Amino acid sequence: MMPNLFHLVLQIAVILVAARVVGFLFQKINQPQVMGEMVAGILLGPSLLGWLAPGVSAALFPASSLGYLNALSQVGLVVFMFVVGLALDPSELHGYGHAAVLTSHVSIVAPFCLGGLTALYLYPRLSDDAVTFTGFALFMGAAMSITAFPVLARILTERGLVRSRMGTLAIACAAVDDVTGWCILAYIVVLVRVTHAGRPAWVTIAGSLAYVLIMLFVVRRFLPAFERAYAKRKSLSDNLIAVIVVLVLASALATEWLGIHLLFGAFLMGAIMPKKPEFTHYLLHKFESVTVVLLLPLFFAFTGLRTRIGVGGGGAIWLYSAIVIVVAITGKLGGSMFAARLSGMPWREAASLGILMNTRGLMELVILNIGLDIGVISPAMFSIMVLMALVTTFMTTPLLEWVYPTRLFKAQVDEIQKNVA
Amino acid sequence: MLGLLGILEAGRGIAAPLSIGGEWNVAFDPAATGCATGPAGLRQPALNISQSGVEALITVNDGHATTLEASVHGATLNAKSLTATIAGKPGERTLTGTMKFEGCGPAAFRAVRQVARKRGE
Repeated sequence: MMPNLFHLVLQIAVILVAARVVGFLFQKINQPQVMGEMVAGILLGPSLLGWLAPGVSAALFPASSLGYLNALSQVGLVVFMFVVGLALDPSELHGYGHAAVLTSHVSIVAPFCLGGLTALYLYPRLSDDAVTFTGFALFMGAAMSITAFPVLARILTERGLVRSRMGTLAIACAAVDDVTGWCILAYIVVLVRVTHAGRPAWVTIAGSLAYVLIMLFVVRRFLPAFERAYAKRKSLSDNLIAVIVVLVLASALATEWLGIHLLFGAFLMGAIMPKKPEFTHYLLHKFESVTVVLLLPLFFAFTGLRTRIGVGGGGAIWLYSAIVIVVAITGKLGGSMFAARLSGMPWREAASLGILMNTRGLMELVILNIGLDIGVISPAMFSIMVLMALVTTFMTTPLLEWVYPTRLFKAQVDEIQKNVA
Repeated sequence: MLGLLGILEAGRGIAAPLSIGGEWNVAFDPAATGCATGPAGLRQPALNISQSGVEALITVNDGHATTLEASVHGATLNAKSLTATIAGKPGERTLTGTMKFEGCGPAAFRAVRQVARKRGE
């Protein structure tokens, strides 16, 4: 028997209960469930449980047992990143013209440059000489420019905005941001790992290019077979689902072996899957339940166990946190808002788009964990960025309701429907 | 793009604190190893350091996982019961200094960093 099996099962049970309870409470204050689950993870870590009851925390989450929790949460993330890639539909990017192109570009460039600028101040204070300034600054830029595509889609759906001009534009821009953000992150991971591993950079770069070309021009050609099988029976057999899982794992292993990261392979596999809505919804339904209910809360808890908000560092940490939060909001919300306004959107809609793009949520946590794993950010920097992710995600719903109240949006929809009638 | 290149260029001149994060194998001065609850009780790697800029948290592998808050100033590492000089390139870093143990005098040591651990572990 695995020596820590008792601990692992107990941990999973405690994490699931905490995630569901806090998620439920957050729903009561009009926050997405996932926001509550993220907070539950933080509460189980040293920021609250470890601080209030260090004995309980040490007994429940002994250091020796965390390897299993991490492994399970990583498997969950692999499946989750496949789901994120699956939900991305390139056709959503067409037809938004100038507004989408300008907004998506500015919503990446503005926070990226501001993140780099902030790195000039934070590098000597929160990093060390084992990390190059270039790696640190590029990571800060990428982490500042990410948008939580899944959380954003959920907020839009819950508010009935998903088919509005602003909603579809936000989805399109977030999709562009996600793909760009992951490409930049892949480059940073290669940059950092090559520096430390001593493997020639060209091996990783050439291997990655070959991998992407094989995925796009070879593997992708065979994937419509799944769609055809689904079309015949309106379902896929367990064997075919298993084949999809194996393809996801093989793709993840390929990118890990190349020195990028497991998650890139899983994401790309999802992104190149056929995109007929019925087929996509079927697969999302198949994969989402276990991932969202069971495995993602484990990832949030593991993230929470690595996060030490307010623990150590003194007042300076709070100052750094405030700087990072202000810069993140200015770059993403401000940048997207002004770009949307410049492309002709009314102020109210432009501001709403900026607020939506500022949602970082779970994607930010994924990126931050990669940054901490490869050593490009320190534990304190990780905690500060997690706090920023929580604040920017938490503020989305109330700020959106303030700027673009539901009653106003519904009145506009009613008016449009009347005119059509 | 030009702005970003400018930022990266400006950052090249900025020095960050010396890296000490990771696991360290420690060798003590033979004269100190007779100390019953001190160096003899340590298992290798004797130190595990988690670093964030100038702040660091040292976990001593003494069976109780004793933790020490420490700070890095230039090439000096300071903690309540440990003082050391940091030397070498990041990949070949060493610590040379003294550690105090309960019931013993300060013990001189030299520590060599093992493969720098992933920070999150």
